[in-house]
Amino acid sequence: MLEDVITAYNEAVFDTDRERALKVIHDAVDRGVSPEDVVFKVVIPAIEQMIKSISESFDANLAQHFMTSQIAAEVTEEMLARFRKAPEVVGHIVIGTAQGDLHSLGKRIVIGCLKSLMIDVTDLGVNVPPEKFVDEAVARNAQVIGISAMMVHTARGENGCIMVRELLRKRGLEDRIKIIVGGAPYRYDLELYKTVGADASADDGITAGRVIAGLIKEVRR
Amino acid sequence: MITGMDRLAAAIQGKKSDRIPVFCNLIDQGAKELGMPLKEYYSNGENVAEAQLKMRERFGYDNVWSLFYVGKEAELLGCKELIYAKDGPPNVADFVIKTHDDIHRLEVPDDISAHPAFQETLKCLRILKSEVGGKQAICAYVTASMTLPALLMGMDRWMELFMLGPASVRDELLEKCSDFFRKEITAYRNAGADVCVYANAFGSTDFVPMRLFRELSLPQMEKDLKPVGIDGVVYYCGGARMNAVLEQVIDRLGIGAYYLSPLDNISEGKKIIGNRALTCGVINDIMLIGWTMQEVRDEVRRMLDAGMPGGKFLFGTLVMPYNIPEENIRAMLETAYEYGACVEEATS
Repeated sequence: MLEDVITAYNEAVFDTDRERALKVIHDAVDRGVSPEDVVFKVVIPAIEQMIKSISESFDANLAQHFMTSQIAAEVTEEMLARFRKAPEVVGHIVIGTAQGDLHSLGKRIVIGCLKSLMIDVTDLGVNVPPEKFVDEAVARNAQVIGISAMMVHTARGENGCIMVRELLRKRGLEDRIKIIVGGAPYRYDLELYKTVGADASADDGITAGRVIAGLIKEVRR
Repeated sequence: MITGMDRLAAAIQGKKSDRIPVFCNLIDQGAKELGMPLKEYYSNGENVAEAQLKMRERFGYDNVWSLFYVGKEAELLGCKELIYAKDGPPNVADFVIKTHDDIHRLEVPDDISAHPAFQETLKCLRILKSEVGGKQAICAYVTASMTLPALLMGMDRWMELFMLGPASVRDELLEKCSDFFRKEITAYRNAGADVCVYANAFGSTDFVPMRLFRELSLPQMEKDLKPVGIDGVVYYCGGARMNAVLEQVIDRLGIGAYYLSPLDNISEGKKIIGNRALTCGVINDIMLIGWTMQEVRDEVRRMLDAGMPGGKFLFGTLVMPYNIPEENIRAMLETAYEYGACVEEATS
């Protein structure tokens, strides 16, 4: 039965059909599938399937990324309330857009995915000063700082990732906190993340989930 | 002497020319040209016109821009606040639409030409027209109705409304944005713009699945363009790829020029477009910040090798970030002029 649920859910998400995806989940729960199985055997594998598809050059688009993440977050939130015991949290990330940048869609897609992957997220919002990224990461004991930038000057600017890296270095936090960046300029220049001092970048919000999980593991090792 | 407009006309018609047309989108660089901060620069249309003319004269490409910054369109619809940077375009800081009620209240000005926020643009266009009208292509940037809401409410909230509804509110906003688009393109044309870049990220399957492209994007683009016609319109997806939709756009809209994404395969795009329209190959100019001059030259040659065979080809740039070293701009343009020389009659 679970295989049918997985197939039906994946198809609905692929078609960006939220109503159908939710119906598949609700029907499954009515038929006895546990909330834990919904999250760990349906929702998370669906995200992983999307990541795999993207890495195999399947042309997923922004609307699919958005809907995958929103549906996953919605289902996870609903199911978590019904879990028998709270799941173990994988890690913590603070995330925001670089100073001077108000584009928040990419950040929202990443946050939706991370919720489903059991990664705690603190959303710092848009136009975030570099000091705030670091202060909040320390205050919340986060393993990763996520910086989104949609414009070349906010991606490369001295008050974006470059300054966050400098602050981590000055405060001796580089082993404890990793930086991931994302946004259009990093898609057009695949080496740019290194230029600005980030540890990693992700081509899209869905893939970011896997990269962030990897960075958390690296810090915790 | 052959002009930029002559080259553009020859490329569109597939005729012989001294070289391919070259469009270079130097926008924020105008402030550097005049030695003033961006905010001061954009406060006066005379500044923009003067810098556009000076840069075109200095570099020799074939177009000038009446575009100040993309957020200008949000100002025409009520935006009161922009965030200025010292080295990049200003950002919309105050979204006109914060609630669905704001969509019901949104009013499209009857006459864009009379709008206070358009006066500096008009001043700029008047100068450009009197100085290079008929000789160099005067470009305008007009955002499609499907993409304009991102400037009014943020891409995040627009994607939410677009994908999750309510559909009636989404359609009301699209209707108003389409009305605005038609009035805006008319205002630009009346003021002397020759080329209107029709910017629509939602016209790419990088943004929406093919099903939604067919069901929503294509009909919406028809709604934008049918009443005002496609004269001088260039199809552009904001840097997103378009090869996958070219056939359908040509078939349904019949637009005469396609400004590919740097991520599109130029040969493939050219093959699809063929003789039916002008193919514009676009360089990944974000890389121009860090490339060596030799890397710049190699890339331009690669692009021209892919796009020039058969004719009807234009070389163009994308966003041209503020911090590209001038020697790389020169290397790009000089290579395009040299290797883009002696265009023969188009072949089918």
